[in-house]
Amino acid sequence: MVSSALEFMATLFPPRRRRSPAQFSPPPRQKQRRVVVSPRRRVLIVWGALMVAALLLLGRLAHLQVLEGSTLHSIASQQQARPQRPAIARRPIVDSNGMLLAADRIVYTLYGHPMLFQQPIGVIASTLSPLLDVPPEQLATQLKQQPSGVRLLDGISEDTARRVRQLRLNGLELIPEQQRFYPQQDLFSQIVGFVNLDGEAQTGLEVAFKNRLSLPHSAVARSFGSATIPIAELITNQADPLQLTVDGRLQRVAQEALRKTLREHGAKRGTVMVMEVNSGAIHALAVEPTFDPNRYFDANLDWLKNWALTDLYEPGSTLKPINIAIALDAGAIDPDDTVYDDGRITIGPWTIQNSDYEATGRQGTLTITDVLKYSSNVGMVRIMNQMPATEFYAWLEKLGIDEPTAIDLPAENVAPLKDREQFVNSTVEVATTAFGQGIAMTPIKLLQLQAAIANGGKLVTPHVVRGVVDDDGTLKWQPLRPAPRQVFSPEAANAVLKMMEAVVETGTGKAAQIPGYRVAGKTGTAQKVTEAGVYGNGRITSFVGVVPVEAPRFVVLAVIDEPSGDNPYGSTVSAPLVKTVMESLVVLEGIPPSSAQALGSGVILPQVAPAGGDSN
Amino acid sequence: MINTTRTRNTWKRWTQAWQQVDWQLFLAAISLTIFASIVIGSTLINLEETILGWNHLILGGICTIVALWISRCRYENLLKWQWVIYAAVNLSLVAVIFMGSTGLGAQRWIPIFGFNVQPSEFAKLGVIITMAAMLRDRDASTLMGVCRALAVVAVPWALVFVQPDLGTSLVFGAICLGMLYWANVNPGWLVIMVSPLVAAIMFHVSIPIWLVWSVGMGLIAWFTLPWRIVCTVMVTAVNLVSGKLGEVFWGLLKDYQKDRLILFLNPDKDPLGGGYHLIQSRIAIGAGQLWGKGLHNGTQTQLNFIPEQHTDFIFSAIGEEFGFIGAMLVVTAFWFICLRLIIIAQNAKDNFGSLIAVGVLSMIVFQVAVNIGMTIGLAPVTGIPLPWVSYGRSALVTNFLALGIVESIANHRHRLRFGD
Repeated sequence: MVSSALEFMATLFPPRRRRSPAQFSPPPRQKQRRVVVSPRRRVLIVWGALMVAALLLLGRLAHLQVLEGSTLHSIASQQQARPQRPAIARRPIVDSNGMLLAADRIVYTLYGHPMLFQQPIGVIASTLSPLLDVPPEQLATQLKQQPSGVRLLDGISEDTARRVRQLRLNGLELIPEQQRFYPQQDLFSQIVGFVNLDGEAQTGLEVAFKNRLSLPHSAVARSFGSATIPIAELITNQADPLQLTVDGRLQRVAQEALRKTLREHGAKRGTVMVMEVNSGAIHALAVEPTFDPNRYFDANLDWLKNWALTDLYEPGSTLKPINIAIALDAGAIDPDDTVYDDGRITIGPWTIQNSDYEATGRQGTLTITDVLKYSSNVGMVRIMNQMPATEFYAWLEKLGIDEPTAIDLPAENVAPLKDREQFVNSTVEVATTAFGQGIAMTPIKLLQLQAAIANGGKLVTPHVVRGVVDDDGTLKWQPLRPAPRQVFSPEAANAVLKMMEAVVETGTGKAAQIPGYRVAGKTGTAQKVTEAGVYGNGRITSFVGVVPVEAPRFVVLAVIDEPSGDNPYGSTVSAPLVKTVMESLVVLEGIPPSSAQALGSGVILPQVAPAGGDSN
Repeated sequence: MINTTRTRNTWKRWTQAWQQVDWQLFLAAISLTIFASIVIGSTLINLEETILGWNHLILGGICTIVALWISRCRYENLLKWQWVIYAAVNLSLVAVIFMGSTGLGAQRWIPIFGFNVQPSEFAKLGVIITMAAMLRDRDASTLMGVCRALAVVAVPWALVFVQPDLGTSLVFGAICLGMLYWANVNPGWLVIMVSPLVAAIMFHVSIPIWLVWSVGMGLIAWFTLPWRIVCTVMVTAVNLVSGKLGEVFWGLLKDYQKDRLILFLNPDKDPLGGGYHLIQSRIAIGAGQLWGKGLHNGTQTQLNFIPEQHTDFIFSAIGEEFGFIGAMLVVTAFWFICLRLIIIAQNAKDNFGSLIAVGVLSMIVFQVAVNIGMTIGLAPVTGIPLPWVSYGRSALVTNFLALGIVESIANHRHRLRFGD
């Protein structure tokens, strides 16, 4: 090889006839023997050395990159401190006002490799300390543990990371990670859900809208692959956000009021929901206890699920308005009819009595409105007995009690209706269903049914997502939803709503009165079925409210599970909570007060309304 | 018509000054500089200091203009300045010792007009010019000539060595050997010059070989040196003593220096310590495979696994992001530059020019071989930058100045010019 190269060079540098100017003339007086290198040989040797060096380098390169290339390539891949997980960039999520609820951000983990430090550990530690906000002694102790791969701090912000980088210290390594960040902490966790540290969506909208939220992979992979993270962050933050129908301000009021109620009554858990009756748009969905999605790993596992969707309960008296609407629509009763309530009723081996039987005894003749107002169980049984059980069952099926509401949140649960034969043939089934026991549904299902009373009989689809919007708030994409389904006649629904207004005006729902506004409502205090399948002492109290009655816009449902204390009723526990939420609702939505005569009392604006009505 | 003739004449007068310049050499060096600024930007993208890539490019542009200007000047003028240059080199190196700023365990920089200047880089060029001037009329075929040249180089060499800047002092050695060889030194003498170092290494490898080596050196001395008996005994003795002396000097070195010198043979011995750079660099280059991962896509490069990557280890970034093809092109570009330098040295009109060209050639060859060798596990880590490619202002300026002088040699290769 070299010799042939030398031959080639020889042709490049032909021997010269005239003496080369660069050739040295031998000194005239020379004593010792010398080896005189001819210029031509000299240049060939130099050139040969050059060739050898170049071939040696190229040979070694070929060996490393071509022969060992794949081995070294896999070593390099393994060395990435962070395993290459599929990095999914997600759209931000905002509330109805554009408040940020969830966004991707880049956080860094700082590793120290003390063996590569060019300054003593103490100096490094004291330089880093003010930036990381960690005492220098602690950093020094960590760094002395091992020569490499010391995990110093994680969750470092982009800004801090930049300042650490600018120190230009050898032996420090910042590993970027894409992380979902929830600035509202626990406020929206039951709606938005969370993405775990491995980047997998776990609950809530993050799961339900996984595909819609994730951004085109190519745009992200490019920037993430080369670890130029700030660009990745830009991409997701520039992406059009997913907007919710939920109003963060109302949500906060609802959450705080709910928390306060649970604390005051020592209850196990609770939920309060606000829904627009005509569209099904949810304006608040508070669940307690809840969790901070940024620290989901600290949360109790039971709190991670939104029980307003996942857990079934027997709604009790809050189902009565629905049943009355059924009876009215079926022609079983007229709004002006009366029923006789003797306080208790015996059906086969079971005795059913009003909750206040011990105190009041028989109620006597009641109008339908009175049945609701005093929440008469016996009255309800009388009403529902005026229609055939088969027809009642058909109505329950028509209402879709055993079907999900199709809310856009995951993990919604439904209870199958009791067997048709069993329902029709056992009079007690009809009787208990009449006042909302022995039939189970989720709080969200009850909310949907109540909305149908308020909106003139339509079953709407509850939803929290408005759609993908651009900078101006213009909708760029909207989820498809089933059209509202008419289940009650508007007349029946309106009649029931009027009755419910009486409940708040003069009945068990007085605690939900808001001066100046016409509010309709219904309490519910249901007995809970124990694990053994029999009714125990546990109660679940609820209240449903509609505002304003003259042109219903919102339905509010509060469900409090296992309140303790002397007097846990829907009227004492849940109604005041609904009132608090409604007071904020009318202000936020700018709902004008109804006519002054609505409540008979003077019109007082909600801002200055005295707290609380009279209890029960 | 008259106008066009005049324009053509003006153009001619302008370009005349560069008629004989080696444009291919210029082009190769400028291409390397432009390519380097892209790679430097890529290695620093995570540090948000891609500006250094631009710095490299802009400084390269300015230096190109300076080199063009130098190439139309007569390099013979340097002869008048040789002692001034020599003094400036030594003074700046002394200045480093007294007022140098410390970086990476050695004092190398002095601040001049707000810039950190690394005099050891400029000293390389100074040494080339001084040696060429020394060997110009009295070549190295006499022992006296060799000693004179070595004595003159010894001063800056010592000053660089104590900084300590082992890499640059090795470059000085390579320049010396190359230029002496070109100046017709007896090859045997060159071998004898290097022999103590080899003896010191042999002593560690195997005692018999060390003995044979010492005797062999004695034989070379017998046949090549004057005062045969004295010289033979001396050379043999020096080689024998070097074995032990080497150990003593080895003991004087700092641990990190020892690691740098020997770990390349077996970097896995200390993968977290001195072997770290070597292993990481080899992995990065290997991971580039045939076609490379593409600009900005080198994971080792981008995750900053390799420290000082925009300076000494820039070749590992090239290897990773541009693969074997890219690395081969860079090596070929250097090979081409060296080829042009040999041709210029061969065709120079006088010994001075020829020797300068060979000095620059030696500098480039040695730096390229050792730098690339270091990143692929063939040479120890010595802190030698890759000419025109590694980020470093002093080095870039030095290389372009050297290029300008060599171009001047090419440009003025005819002894006399008669008319146009």
